[in-house]
Amino acid sequence: MSSLESELQPPEPIQTASCEGIAEIAERVKRLIVENLHLDGLQPEMIDEEAPLFGEGLGLDSVDALELVVAVEKEFGIKIKSNEIGREVFSSVASLSRFIAGRV
Amino acid sequence: MVITGLGTVGAWGCGSGALARALAAGVPPAATAVDRSAGYHRRCGARRALLTPMAALAEWVPPAEARRMSPPSRLAVAAARMAIGAAGLAAADVAGLGTAVVTATVFGPSSFSDALLLQIVHEGPQAVSPYLFSESVANAPTAQIAIACGARGPNLTLCQGEAGALLAVARAAAAVMEGRAERALAGAVDEMPAMLHGLLDRFGTLAHRPCRAPGGESGRPFDRRRNGVVAADGATILVLETAAAAARRGAAPLAHVRAWGSAFDPSASTAGWGSGAPALGRSLRRAMERRGVAMGAIDRIASGASGSRGGDRLEAGLLRAAWGDAALPPVLAPKAVTGEYGGGFLAAALLAAAGAPYGPTAGFAEPDPRLGVVPHDGRRLPPPALLLASSVAAGGAAAWLLLAAGGAG
Amino acid sequence: MAAGMAAPARRQVVVSGIGAVSGFGWGVEPLWTGLRAGATAIRPFVRFDSSQHRTRLAAEVPAAPPAPGATPAGLATGRSRLSFADRFAVAAAAEALAGAGLGETLGGGEDERSAPAAGAAGVFFGSSTGGMWESENYLAGVWAGGRPPLRLLAAQQVNCPGDAVARRFGVTGPVSTISSACASGALAIGAALAAVRSGEVEVALTGGADSLCQLTYAGFNALRSVDEAPCRPFREGRSGLSLGEGAAVLVLEPLARVLARGAEPLAVLLGAGAACDAHHMTAPEPAGAGAAAALAAALADAGLEAAEIDFVNAHGTGTPLNDVAEWHALERVFGARARCLPVAATKAGVGHLLGSAGAIEAVVTVLSLQRGELHPVPFAAVPVDAACPVALVAGAPLPLAGARAAASISLAFGGSNAALVFARWGAAA
Repeated sequence: MSSLESELQPPEPIQTASCEGIAEIAERVKRLIVENLHLDGLQPEMIDEEAPLFGEGLGLDSVDALELVVAVEKEFGIKIKSNEIGREVFSSVASLSRFIAGRV
Repeated sequence: MVITGLGTVGAWGCGSGALARALAAGVPPAATAVDRSAGYHRRCGARRALLTPMAALAEWVPPAEARRMSPPSRLAVAAARMAIGAAGLAAADVAGLGTAVVTATVFGPSSFSDALLLQIVHEGPQAVSPYLFSESVANAPTAQIAIACGARGPNLTLCQGEAGALLAVARAAAAVMEGRAERALAGAVDEMPAMLHGLLDRFGTLAHRPCRAPGGESGRPFDRRRNGVVAADGATILVLETAAAAARRGAAPLAHVRAWGSAFDPSASTAGWGSGAPALGRSLRRAMERRGVAMGAIDRIASGASGSRGGDRLEAGLLRAAWGDAALPPVLAPKAVTGEYGGGFLAAALLAAAGAPYGPTAGFAEPDPRLGVVPHDGRRLPPPALLLASSVAAGGAAAWLLLAAGGAG
Repeated sequence: MAAGMAAPARRQVVVSGIGAVSGFGWGVEPLWTGLRAGATAIRPFVRFDSSQHRTRLAAEVPAAPPAPGATPAGLATGRSRLSFADRFAVAAAAEALAGAGLGETLGGGEDERSAPAAGAAGVFFGSSTGGMWESENYLAGVWAGGRPPLRLLAAQQVNCPGDAVARRFGVTGPVSTISSACASGALAIGAALAAVRSGEVEVALTGGADSLCQLTYAGFNALRSVDEAPCRPFREGRSGLSLGEGAAVLVLEPLARVLARGAEPLAVLLGAGAACDAHHMTAPEPAGAGAAAALAAALADAGLEAAEIDFVNAHGTGTPLNDVAEWHALERVFGARARCLPVAATKAGVGHLLGSAGAIEAVVTVLSLQRGELHPVPFAAVPVDAACPVALVAGAPLPLAGARAAASISLAFGGSNAALVFARWGAAA
């Protein structure tokens, strides 16, 4: 789904987004990471979607996570509740993209 | 109490060498044109500021570490690392409970708090960046120095306008003297983003020239036609420790901290200048007398005069009142070179105490007969035995620091 | 030690007056009445439109003056332009000075017993926000295309509340403001203690003032640190802090000076300590080592053992991480006693005053010692979290008639920690 179509559709309680939809979301998430987290020299294509975002992998911390939350909210027009900002949702680009797909 | 290391960054670059050369020549570093397109500035107001070349900080604060630091945090951490190296200390010496960090800032990470306010107003409060907020607090630079150096002793950030830098050194010296720390990293930091520059201009704080006049504005300390300060950014950090500790590790002091004092002029208006010079002068004398220092023993003054109409008048008045009928010793006005804010004055005062030569006072052309103070004209002076650094802040505070030359016992 | 600098003489320093402005009202009495009833001042507020923010509550000072620049009756402004924080500060300082029996001119009066000699009074303040609220209004007005008065910006700086107090009461000695986030108030009181001990000043007005503003409200919400409900420090299900505003001021003097004018101290300020986590800008060091070091330094400064502390006024913000880190700090210092050492969590009542939190909590600690009871927390039925099992007081105030000494601790954003140790006036040495 394009983002415009997703805004016109009512939110669905069950995640039914297509693989293509999640892939596109993942590309946008990677771009948000590069643009918002000031990671020197990082390009979107260098980010492994299944790799951990925190600790190892990109080595992001709690403030990076929250920065990404605000960026995701703005980009996708969704609201993320505080109790949803958990390690599972944000454990990787892939898990975050699946979460977003279920929301748009 | 001695100062064993100096780290400083500013428009002159990184390190005290370039600053010392500028002071010796009496020529300020090149000022940078400030972006006035957002419309905060007055139409014929200030156009330039003395800004640190931020790219030069990368040697001290690598990009991976700097990525989440506000500009003042980067400036402060760079200066702290420089100071530690200059003091001959290793990182392992500084890490631990024994190192206190006391810095002063006038405006804090203003670019970040301004950006947050823009987000709130234009995008709504929920669009606010957590990263910007975490680095927008006045104590962010002090906290980042502690994190960078592992300094786990007392950690304080002072905000007292132009008097903050000398207060921070005094507070740090007191902490070491009271045994709360073995050493302290003390100093000052400020950034000077365009919006802050514009608002200062609007307040009438900044030096300015007629609209179509060529060249840049100057801060003219004590000059009859002074009309404001030249704003600067930067950071200066000193390493303070007891004379005994320095001697134990064979570190040669740059200067001894002999005395300090501070006072307040309640006749000042908020962010303004009062008429309390006589009382401030008496407070300065009392502060020196408490430490057994006769005013006549002070043979050099590093004045915080900066070209502010009211500030320089107050400064001249309190110095004249403190010295009474006696003639003032030579008065240096380093802010002619360093500008106002950013800690340059502190570095310049320390250099003067350590014997660095000063050239003529840049920007000074004509004495103001109402002040009765004429700043240094560049003639050769012997290194001082006792140098008094003096600063007055808008809003009423004043602070002093007495430094003795490094070789003194 | 350099020649000419004798070791400073150490005099006993006492609290001779206290003042406060909080969500419970203007004055120490409304503060104490609210706290000891187990009430909370954290509620919907009107200062700005909270519907735009992620949460809706704060402990707002009630009956605030109608508009910035307007003066409530009884507060002279002179030539200054006062922000809300300035006005809170001046009101709290006026109450503290009156309580101490001191005149309103501290810059050199004829009666040495009350007004100290010129230069002998100082102000040591803490603030995080200063006049930020008024500046927000100015900038929002500018960005909306208007021409708001520039004077709204004049009181922006965090040192303005402390300066306003100095100006109002004619202080001519040292005046300084610390802005170290949540530890500012406690650090300022520590600085005042040192100044009075050494004789640098004879009278210190110390404390802090902060007012609600959109920047801090939005900022803490961006960090997801704000609870949607009133904060419940150390309790199960807590999810963050609640913001508050107000001011608190203590008058510190040497004991001999207070007794000489026939006044009675409210409490003794025995010691202060500070230490830094050097860990992370927003997250506390999880083992609480920095906070424990600050508390240990304060105890050493006070000349007391941990066993001599009878209760603690905790930092207790209500964030999941802070309360656990603070618990570990208490364990480090008090060992097995930590589980039963009575703890007051004042932020549950007045919210987090940021820079002035340490100051208002110092005032509450003095009140607790003086009045012989520890205030309970609101929402008594909510159980304490097993991860931070402090001995919170629930229900009725805890009688403390025999309490002799207490500690108040502050853990700041950015890792600066501070602790103060007070003793009850009249407690046997």
